[in-house]
Amino acid sequence: MAEIKVDCTSETCPVPLVETRKALRKAKEGDVVEVIGTHPASKKEIPMAVKALGLELIDVQEEGGVWRIRIRR
Amino acid sequence: MLGRVVYLDNAAATRLDERVLEAVRPYFFDTYAVATSEFGYSQGIEAREALDGAREAIASALGAAPEEFIFTSGSTESSNIALKGVALALDKKKDKHIIVSKIEDFPVLHSSQALEKQGFQVTYLDVDGDGFVDLDKLRDSMTNETILVSIQHANQEIGTIQDIEGIGHICREKGVLFHTDATHTFPWVPLDVKRIPVDLVTVSAHTIHGPKGIGGLYIRQGTQIAKWVDGGFQEFNLRAGLENIAGAVGFAKAVELITPEETKRLQEMRDRLIDRILAEIPNSTLNGHRWRRLPQNANITFHFVEGESMTLHLDMRGFAVSTGSACFSRSLEGSHVIFGIGGDHERTHGSIRFTFGRYNTMEDVDAVVQALAEIVKELRSISPLGKNREKEEG
Repeated sequence: MAEIKVDCTSETCPVPLVETRKALRKAKEGDVVEVIGTHPASKKEIPMAVKALGLELIDVQEEGGVWRIRIRR
Repeated sequence: MLGRVVYLDNAAATRLDERVLEAVRPYFFDTYAVATSEFGYSQGIEAREALDGAREAIASALGAAPEEFIFTSGSTESSNIALKGVALALDKKKDKHIIVSKIEDFPVLHSSQALEKQGFQVTYLDVDGDGFVDLDKLRDSMTNETILVSIQHANQEIGTIQDIEGIGHICREKGVLFHTDATHTFPWVPLDVKRIPVDLVTVSAHTIHGPKGIGGLYIRQGTQIAKWVDGGFQEFNLRAGLENIAGAVGFAKAVELITPEETKRLQEMRDRLIDRILAEIPNSTLNGHRWRRLPQNANITFHFVEGESMTLHLDMRGFAVSTGSACFSRSLEGSHVIFGIGGDHERTHGSIRFTFGRYNTMEDVDAVVQALAEIVKELRSISPLGKNREKEEG
């Protein structure tokens, strides 16, 4: 199981979601995609998309304005 | 993204119909020779007959004679030939005048801009809030130097169908050539060149479940037009190059398969989608005229959300649509069509185009409306635009 990191720091909507989608397309079943970013709306819309895709949202963490979302494909 | 796709972007490209594939198959494996004259070998003659048959069938669907229809690589090339071919055929080019609408598709708009650089004058006509060209304004914008008017049959984004008969009569009265881009109407919306005074018509197979890479141009007999590609004598000595016989046969088959019943079915899906969205999703606006629009097209702005976000979320739920929003387009500019009908950046950014095809069902309509209702509500709850709206509404 691989872990794929996507750094979207300083990027605004919809780039973090585009990058997340790109990473999820490449990921294999069971791989973990970790997205890091700073745009507040993306922190909310990525979990929305994960839910719609029926994938597992492992966790969402935030520290000092930087959020980290982990998704299992 | 991960499972079944409900494809609602049929104005961009369509799934090939299996019957088209079966019709073209022999021209890859059995009758693959170049089309030859009756003095050539038999396979070449068969290829010629197939090409002639396809030409006759498509020309006939336009009410034209076969010798008035040439095959091209698609609608982009057809419109380029129409505008530049007419312009090139003139002896004196300087200060000659062309009129197009502001909401034409890029082949017409960019060909016009290219001609401007060569000294032609171009008027880009305004349209009204539904996308219609005003016939009086068209008449008023004509000068003694006007050589060509190019106004689309229907718009590629908002679906508005122009009064091409009225436009054609004005052009005929003034002795000006008239080209129309019928990429999105042919043959869903009837266009009979015997009745409508139009001199050049762009058509394509890619929007009607035919092959990509094949289109055509109707050229009324007697129209002065320059040779487009130099080489051999193909396509009545206007466009040289080996004929795409499989493409031509596929195009003709695709035209044959369109029926009034299918058009009606598309229209029913369109109407259900528009009615349900406008009734069920607040702050949504239809772009284009409610009724005088393409049977397969709906274009709606969802205010306070961005089109890119919507297309991404829809994609992740298995729906393919397009948006007029800037980042979605390769030009990175918002839709010139929505701006053209008086829309602002916000209306452009939130616009989504849904275009139906043969393989869509009413269940697809209901499924996309349900997904949209959820997505729009969620996006508005997190979008700065949506939050501003909430503040405004108190």
